[in-house]
Order: sequence, then C-alpha cells, then structure tokens
Amino acid sequence: MTREELQERIIAILVQDFEFKNPAPNDHLRDVHGFDSIDAIELLAKIEKMLGFALTREEKEQAMAIRTINDILDYIETMQRKRGLVKP
Amino acid sequence: MQAETHPTPTLLARLLIDLPVTLAAWAYYIFAFLLFFAPFYAGAFFCPRRRQAFQRLNHLYCRGLFALLGMIVPRQSRQIDARLTSTKGAVILCNHLSYLDPLLLMAAMPFCTTVVKARFFLIPIFGWVLRSAGYLPSSSEGRFARLMLRQMEGLQDYLTAGGNLFIFPEGTRSRNGRPGPLQHSALKLARLTKAPIVVFRIDNTNVLFPPGRFLFNAGQANTIRITAVGCIQPQDPLYQAPLSQLEEAIHALLKGEIPPTSKSICSYQSSPSAT
Repeated sequence: MTREELQERIIAILVQDFEFKNPAPNDHLRDVHGFDSIDAIELLAKIEKMLGFALTREEKEQAMAIRTINDILDYIETMQRKRGLVKP
Repeated sequence: MQAETHPTPTLLARLLIDLPVTLAAWAYYIFAFLLFFAPFYAGAFFCPRRRQAFQRLNHLYCRGLFALLGMIVPRQSRQIDARLTSTKGAVILCNHLSYLDPLLLMAAMPFCTTVVKARFFLIPIFGWVLRSAGYLPSSSEGRFARLMLRQMEGLQDYLTAGGNLFIFPEGTRSRNGRPGPLQHSALKLARLTKAPIVVFRIDNTNVLFPPGRFLFNAGQANTIRITAVGCIQPQDPLYQAPLSQLEEAIHALLKGEIPPTSKSICSYQSSPSAT
C-alpha cells in the first residue's frame, strides 16, 4: 500500500468512526478534532486489524505521542518496516 | 397547617458537630488503612487475581467509612438503589457532586474499576493501591501512557466477567449541584468497552461533604440517594450515534429529564422504588 492509499484509508476511518470533519494531514489531532487517548487506543485496534498483525504494548505506547495524520502514517510505515512488510 | 421545620444549628454548634465528625472520618481513612487494612493489601498484592482482591478491599474499606458515618452522623441517611448492586458488566455513568461519590459507589459494589485523576497515581502507597486495583489514569500523557494501555488491556474481559466501570463524565464535581457538560472522552471510553451504559443519579452527597469545604456538614438532616435513571444497550442506535446525541441523552437523564431519544433508552423512571 502506498502512502497515498494509506492516507486515504486513515482519513476514511477518522471521518467515519471518529466524527472528523475535513481532516488535513497536518492538523493537530487533539486541538482541531478533539482526538484523545481513548481515540488513540481505538484507532490502534483498527490499525492492527488493517495491517493484520498485533502491536506490542511498547509500540502502542509510542503511538500515544502521535499528533497529526502524517504522524499516523509515519508510525504505520515504521511498524510495517519493522516487520519487513515494506522496503526501507 | 404549619410546615415541619428543622432548626438550623448555630455556627458554634455546627463547628462542635462538624469538626469531630471530620476528624473521625480522616482518622478512619488513615488509621484503618495503616492499622487494619495494610497487611491485607500487602497480601492481596501476591494474589493471582490481584485486581479483584484490591477492589474487594477498597469496597470493605469504603463500607467501613460509611458505617462509621452512619453511626456518628445520625441525621444522615442513605437510599441506594438496589439496581446499583445488581448491575454487572456495565459502564456506570453518574453525576459528580462530592469527593464522597466514588467512595459511595465503591462501598456499594465489590468489583468495580474507575477513572482517577492521573496525579493521584504519583502519590506513594495511594498510587500503588490505585494501580493494583486496575483503575485507569485520566491522562495518557508521558509516563501515564504505559499505565493507561496496561489498565485498558483486559478491561473488556473484566466487564464480561461481571465487573463494572464507573465514570463521572463531567470530569469534575459540580459546584451548583446541577450536572455540567459531559466530557466526550468519558463517553468514548464507555462505548469502547462495548458494555451496556447504565446511568445513575447521585443526590445530596454535596450536602454532607460540600466541594471546597474541609469540614463535613454533619449537623444538617440529609438523605443521600443513588437512583437508576436509564440504560443504553450496545445494540441501541443511540449507543453508536454521534457523541453529541449520546451526550444530550445522558445529560437529560442526569438532570432527571426524559431524553429526546428516549425510545431506545430503558426507562427506569417508572420502576418500583428501590431500597
């Protein structure tokens, strides 16, 4: 999956399941869309489902520092790279 | 016919009643833990079901506090809805009036978890009890991220096994007795568990222990009540409705009104009165 495709899927999830309105890749998720730690936990579960593998607690902990959609994409790519699912 | 009136105690009389009651409550809080409960908590730490063991001890500790208050504050009474103790595997949402509210709920339910202000987890011993009981921190910033994730793991299983999660969705105590705006994060947490949401209304704990006051208000006749006012099942459309709709419905229930989306809410309004 390319970064663009990934972005499209993440934005679709954020709009459909998290009530985001017109999200942009660099919006501050908490300040602009009220995205909080509970949302982060729910999103991580959706990301695990989407990627088809479970994240460790340490990896989830890293995700709690995510601030923008671009950060989410970077995070997913890092997790995929760690598992050898995409080329570095 | 003249209405029945309760004489209002003078300032000195109030102080003579309120101060000893306050000191007795604090003495119980500190010394019952140190002299009686501490060894049991230490033992519970090695229990395979540590979370439940700590919750059971917290339940007994809080029951002790209210038993004491029942003895030394005779003008106070309690009416706890029997449905609170029979509710299992649910997220319980309540209005928040006083620091007594969480203690009252813990005294009523042997197995329950809750969300606690994150800074309390940093207090020695107290923080250890909170962590061991599986309570959730209110923040996941910085060092609380790991704790939040750890406590969230298994929460759904805990609820399925019959435990309850109680939350005060206002996030803070009401200063005027009326329910304030509800925090969406509390409602999101409730929905994330996929457990039924049961709404209870708390009344008059702020009369006995008002916010911003050190002393208990022990001289005034008062009845503390917890009443079930509604529930929302996961299969109800309202459960997955936009948060603003869910908030509106729960807020209306907490205010004692019938919510606009009342069709999907199990009404407790006309149920027989509880004990």
